[in-house]
Amino acid sequence: MPAEKKDEGNVHNRIPMLRAERGVSRRDLATALGVHYQTIGYLERGEYSPSLHLALRIAAYFEVPVEVVFSLDPFPRIGSSS
Amino acid sequence: MTNDERPTNDRDSSWWHRHRANSQRKRAERIRVLDEELERRMPARYATQRARRALAVAGGACLGLLWVDAAVAWILAPSDTAMIVNFVVLGILLVVGIPLAGSLSAITRGMTLKHERELDEREKTARLRAFTTAHRCTSVVMILVMLVTMFADRDGRDSQIPGAALFLILFALLVTHVLLPLVVAAWQAPDPPADEDEFDDEPAHDTTS
Repeated sequence: MPAEKKDEGNVHNRIPMLRAERGVSRRDLATALGVHYQTIGYLERGEYSPSLHLALRIAAYFEVPVEVVFSLDPFPRIGSSS
Repeated sequence: MTNDERPTNDRDSSWWHRHRANSQRKRAERIRVLDEELERRMPARYATQRARRALAVAGGACLGLLWVDAAVAWILAPSDTAMIVNFVVLGILLVVGIPLAGSLSAITRGMTLKHERELDEREKTARLRAFTTAHRCTSVVMILVMLVTMFADRDGRDSQIPGAALFLILFALLVTHVLLPLVVAAWQAPDPPADEDEFDDEPAHDTTS
């Protein structure tokens, strides 16, 4: 299916939401993770899928399980029934 | 055991580690300053893919000019015309090529020039991609040079390849090998993410859908 094909290899994430919720800037997060701040931007835009190591470190930074931050399926919108 | 009583090897080794750590710290500081400078000097117009690719094409044209210079030297050297063409091309490269290389470095944030340990995983992946593509292009260039040399010079032992042409071919090959990854990295660079850290002004884009 074309939609599936387009989604292939794409990892969805909730980094912007977690960042906004905790008032963490991209630069702060990037410094804590030891990456360039643009890398956080590309992650948030879904243009870069992190390695398992980076994904686990991001989850550890926000103190949540990794599946709370990353998913292969799109996250449901807040308030949506599905 | 005092410092004087320690075996010489231990002292040398500790001196070496201290020296290395010191030089790494200095380099990290230099890179931090350079990053800030690149950030500051990166013109907003290069935020679009079109502008970045135009600059990459200009960089490719500069590299192509070196090959034209080598070809002219092959055909015309030794002659005044070949010498004049050579100086004109080198002049253009000095005036245009060096600032262009600076802009390309700024666009790629020095990705192809830094040590691997100074890059994060995304930058390493992007650099590997650029080097792979550039390596493939350089291979094609070398095959072309080999074929041209084979077919253009068929005099065998009597062949008279001008020394200037030989030097310029090797020089063009070296510069292409060194700078093509920079050009390719600029061509492949994605649009930089918007710099939005003020949640009140502009909420962060959520990839949840």
